[in-house]
Amino acid sequence: MTAALSTHGLMKDYGDRPALEALDLVVPEGEHVALVGHNGSGKTTLLRMAAGLLDPSGGEARIMGHRSGSLEARRSLSWLSDTPTFYDDLSLWEHLEYVGRLHGVSSWQAKAEELLTRLNLADRRDDIPTTFSRGLRQKAAIALGMVRPFDVLLVDEPFVGLDSNGKDTLLELLDEAARAGATLLVATHELAFVARVGRLLALRDGALVYDGPPADGDVHALVLPS
Amino acid sequence: MSDELAVEPAVKGTGLAALRDLRRTRQLHRLGNLDWFDAAYRVYLFGGVGGGLVLWISSSIKDELVSDSVAADVLHHGPTVLGLFVAIAFMAGIRGGAQGGPIALEAADVAHVMLAPVDRRRALLRPAGQRLRSAMFSGALAGAVVGQLAGRRLPGSVLAWFASGALFGANLAALWVGAAVLAHVLRVPRWAATLVGLLVVAVQSLAVAYDFPGPANPAGSLALWGWRVRPVDLVAVAVTLAALVTGCALLRRISLDALARRSALVAQLRFAVTMQDLRTVILLRRQLNQEQARRRPFVRVPTAGSGLGLTSSTWRRGWHGLLRFPVPRLVRMAAIAAGMGVLQGMVVRGTTPAFLGTAILGFVLGLEVMEPLSQEVDQADRADALPVERGELMARHLLAPAVALVPFGFIAAIAAWATLGTASDALVPALILGVPTVLGAACGGVVSIVRDMPDPSSSVTQQTFMPPEMVGFTTFLRLAWPIVVSLLTTATILLPRSALQFGDSTVGAAVRGSIGALLVVVLVYQWVRLRDRLRRKIKAFMEEGRNYTAQQRSSA
Repeated sequence: MTAALSTHGLMKDYGDRPALEALDLVVPEGEHVALVGHNGSGKTTLLRMAAGLLDPSGGEARIMGHRSGSLEARRSLSWLSDTPTFYDDLSLWEHLEYVGRLHGVSSWQAKAEELLTRLNLADRRDDIPTTFSRGLRQKAAIALGMVRPFDVLLVDEPFVGLDSNGKDTLLELLDEAARAGATLLVATHELAFVARVGRLLALRDGALVYDGPPADGDVHALVLPS
Repeated sequence: MSDELAVEPAVKGTGLAALRDLRRTRQLHRLGNLDWFDAAYRVYLFGGVGGGLVLWISSSIKDELVSDSVAADVLHHGPTVLGLFVAIAFMAGIRGGAQGGPIALEAADVAHVMLAPVDRRRALLRPAGQRLRSAMFSGALAGAVVGQLAGRRLPGSVLAWFASGALFGANLAALWVGAAVLAHVLRVPRWAATLVGLLVVAVQSLAVAYDFPGPANPAGSLALWGWRVRPVDLVAVAVTLAALVTGCALLRRISLDALARRSALVAQLRFAVTMQDLRTVILLRRQLNQEQARRRPFVRVPTAGSGLGLTSSTWRRGWHGLLRFPVPRLVRMAAIAAGMGVLQGMVVRGTTPAFLGTAILGFVLGLEVMEPLSQEVDQADRADALPVERGELMARHLLAPAVALVPFGFIAAIAAWATLGTASDALVPALILGVPTVLGAACGGVVSIVRDMPDPSSSVTQQTFMPPEMVGFTTFLRLAWPIVVSLLTTATILLPRSALQFGDSTVGAAVRGSIGALLVVVLVYQWVRLRDRLRRKIKAFMEEGRNYTAQQRSSA
């Protein structure tokens, strides 16, 4: 079976400060993984390198067997950033159309309608998302990340700014994606979320300190800085 | 569709059609939102000021042709000297490329287009083309202006010089972009880019000094096509084209890391340019070049006495900021100071317009060195929360940078002396004038920084109801006033020139000039210190007058 996400000696340093120590990791297809750690532990660095947005200092990351950032990897990977970015002259609906079409989805409208309805954004579809509040921007980003096809979903701090309704919807969407066979890797500080996944990864000061079932690890202790 | 969101299998397709459609849609949105009157007014203002400047410089240059010997000198040394500019542009390009330039995308394009399964090379061709187009336009414009000025004194028609200047400028700009793209896609390490760039500049400098053909001579020779045409110079255009074509062919190797980092900064940079905020432009350019402060200062400044006084605290804070300047920034400041000196030497030799360049360089040096003051202005809330008069605080922040400017004043003096010929008697006057003129010219930077401080007593409505002509005038004043302050002090260089012409003592003239420059420094210091108090007094006086008028009216 091909690994959905694999890293070999993947590392990143900023001068004399290591952000992520050499990491060897294999996430099989369909696995649902939570990534935890204190602020500055290297979670975002790992996800951004896997998405191809950050050049590693050493090693490599692969998505579905393809080098991260390659055309094939981009086709398989959806990336939900903790800082959503939008065009300031396009409506939310135009964003959805654009992203859907960029990924070759011909029937994007039906999926976009459904996502907007479930995320309570239907009446904001013609508004410019850069004018949205933090929570609405997060919801818009979720819609954009899910309107397109993907085999692997990387999510960074998805719950920040969401109201309880939005959190519930996001959890439903993640569960549905997992049931459909997608591989999920979610970096979060919401420790309650960890119970829903099959595998927990914990980073501390750029090093992997735990890799196993969530039940076997003391999550609260794992997220403490050294 | 079921309640559950099915994860569709990945569909093959480039998405380039979507990209084209979207760009068209966005262009229509932009055109729809464009304020045509405002845009036309900006063009009119730019044309008026720019045209006036060119006319002024043109009128400062004599119309008669240079002597045969000077013309022969220009023909002989011109390609090598102009080639040095090309070498510097190449170094700037290759270093910029190694630091992630020259293409900048919107953050949303990085997130949505670059992470989509579209051919990155084809998606990036358009922004790369836009970058090339704007650089070539600026280069051609500057080259054409200088070309027509040269055409007034050198053999050949002005029109031919205009065209050859434009060709030289466009090629230089295109080489800069091509070198940058190539260095980026080849992922040239920064140290290697600096090394290669320095090597090319060093060889070309040696060519200038020892009179042999340097590698950038053909590119420099293009500028002389207004006089004579040498087809072999086209090799420079071929090299530029080769760099551009190779760079564009490898565009898919571009670093997303660099694009993501630059996207936010470039958006801020464009906004700062729109607002004519030169200080922010310089700050953001430093960030774009990843020029970060050192983690620790070169040396730590001990606390003097109790260390709690305003002067002592700001002095220590100022030095800790200045001593964190990275080496490239210090080198750049030294180069600016040396440039000031060279231009001052040229003023003394008779090229009067060069003193405008001296003032601009001094202004930029001021913006570079006044970092502690800039930081305080940028953290206005923090400064306002302190139990001290804001003006007193800001004025104290001038002390450490002023002392730090002293060595740069000596660099300027040595450069001016070297320009005038080391055998001349210019050393003593240059040393006397060096520090005061550098300090004075840097005051333009101080004015620019302090003027940008938020002013709670200002009235926004006054500006809102100004007629367009008045807004244009105030915009011009806003841009020009700091430069005028710098000009006031650099103009002192005209005193020793005049003394030289009339056979008076150049040392005496330099002393008088330096006193004049220092007077401007003291005035600017006092302006910074008392500005808030004076504005408050003026405002209170005006209100008193208004109240008095209102009382008179009501009693009548």
